[in-house]
Amino acid sequence: MVEVDDDAVEIDLDAGQARLLVRGLDVYDDHDIANSLTQGLGLPGGLGFPYPAIAPVVPVRAKVSFDVRWSGIVTTAQIENSTQGFKGTFLSTGATIEWSAQQDGFAFQSEPANPSRNLVSVLGHEKNGVFFT
Amino acid sequence: MNEQRFQQKWVSRRSLIRGVAGAALGTSLLRPNPAYADQGDDDGRRCRGPLLKPIPGGVVPFTPFGVPVHHNPLNPAVALPDISDPSEVTDFDGFVSLTHIRGGGTGTSTAATMSLAYQADMGFGQGKFIGIDGRQHRGTFAFV
Repeated sequence: MVEVDDDAVEIDLDAGQARLLVRGLDVYDDHDIANSLTQGLGLPGGLGFPYPAIAPVVPVRAKVSFDVRWSGIVTTAQIENSTQGFKGTFLSTGATIEWSAQQDGFAFQSEPANPSRNLVSVLGHEKNGVFFT
Repeated sequence: MNEQRFQQKWVSRRSLIRGVAGAALGTSLLRPNPAYADQGDDDGRRCRGPLLKPIPGGVVPFTPFGVPVHHNPLNPAVALPDISDPSEVTDFDGFVSLTHIRGGGTGTSTAATMSLAYQADMGFGQGKFIGIDGRQHRGTFAFV
């Protein structure tokens, strides 16, 4: 998690709409998911699926901007999960994202927002931990 | 921006771009890194320091090599009533969101322009929480 300004988020839960808009966030580009989660050690290989050999990579600094929008209520649910200790109102919605990244010698610009790219998205208002009881 | 804030801004990101045979896979999960709230706590004072307490559990990709990630990724095959806690923060009361999206785009290097694919697992939290200092705070956080 990274702190963002309060006004980076807009949300209207009743309407099933929200937006996360961040510009120029400084990040490290770890090159690939394995190096990110092994903190640059890569994977040794020889472990079979789903662990291919991935060489260690030193992260580089980058800036990212992203505009994520949730809209279009698909389903709603009231959840109270005593095992995990959370409860609240949740919506399954559509979502889109546009994002870009820049680093020395490389830049990326995503395609325009495309609702058909959404796999699964959720909005909600919840209480967990000490607020669960 | 002071040095502390500057360093806080340099959050690590996994798999921003993965260039493999002309296809990139960019997901968007931060390496676990305490977030810092400075929106002010309930008594109006600005707070500093790593405050958020992560949810118990989550995932440990690439076990035993990967670091734990206190995050429950959405799964399109799981019905909404059966999802795991979408918040990454515990002792939390507020709005949460997650999205799992795939898409494409264009990468431009000094040598070439290429079509790339990405996958994003992102969200946000906004509300009140009990920090590791035992006090109540408010904040807005992005899961990137």
